[in-house]
Amino acid sequence: MADERPLSLPVILGTTRQGRMSENAARFVHGELSKRQGVSTEIIDIARLGFRIDDAGEGVAGAEFTEKMNMADGLIIVSPEYNHSFPGLLKHVLDSCLEEYIHKPAAIVGVSAGSFGGARGIQNLLPVLRELGLTATFTDLYFGSVAKIFDMTGRLLEPAFVERTANFLDELIWMATTFRYGRENVPLE
Amino acid sequence: MAKKAAKEKREKMICPVCGIEMNRHAEKVREPRTPEEVAAIDPVLDGLLVEHHTCPGCGRGAARTQP
Repeated sequence: MADERPLSLPVILGTTRQGRMSENAARFVHGELSKRQGVSTEIIDIARLGFRIDDAGEGVAGAEFTEKMNMADGLIIVSPEYNHSFPGLLKHVLDSCLEEYIHKPAAIVGVSAGSFGGARGIQNLLPVLRELGLTATFTDLYFGSVAKIFDMTGRLLEPAFVERTANFLDELIWMATTFRYGRENVPLE
Repeated sequence: MAKKAAKEKREKMICPVCGIEMNRHAEKVREPRTPEEVAAIDPVLDGLLVEHHTCPGCGRGAARTQP
């Protein structure tokens, strides 16, 4: 299925904390995705969005972020695990949109200092994605014990993550391609 | 039959960028957000039925409450 428009697959870096190790994972995944033909991608760092936290609901939505979500064909969400869940500010940002997400795939990258790779945070994020109209991929990507996977400069120390990430991206690209076709061509009866 | 009648009278949604007909691919009932929307609630669905459309030309999405 040829399409002149590249798939738009932004990577959302879902934490604002100083010294966040998730940034290394986000940059690595973004770098691997950037190598793919027919894909456009960028890192959306929620620390740079500057959303208010005393808003009245959807009034918080930034026009630039909303436009990016509207034109996205799928999302990669990089989420550390904080106390068995995902960051509250990530939820705050995701909640700023709704209709922009409908019938698009989301692939989750879990990050943790410990060995579980953010799996418990991912489990808590899944029902949120569903209510937003997103569809989670079958495959997650887990960066457990993240300090052993990247050095302090963000260089990958575990080569196995190249192939794991490739498999993860293959599925997201398949779903994004398929869902785009459906959104644009298959009417709801 | 009611659904078929609604489909026949539904207006096309046109992409504001491309000027072509958008594809209606989803519907969902949502809570009202304004007093005007509260007044427009569908009593059977207990909310507002929102249509979601995507342009086959540029991929832009748009939504509207069902007319």
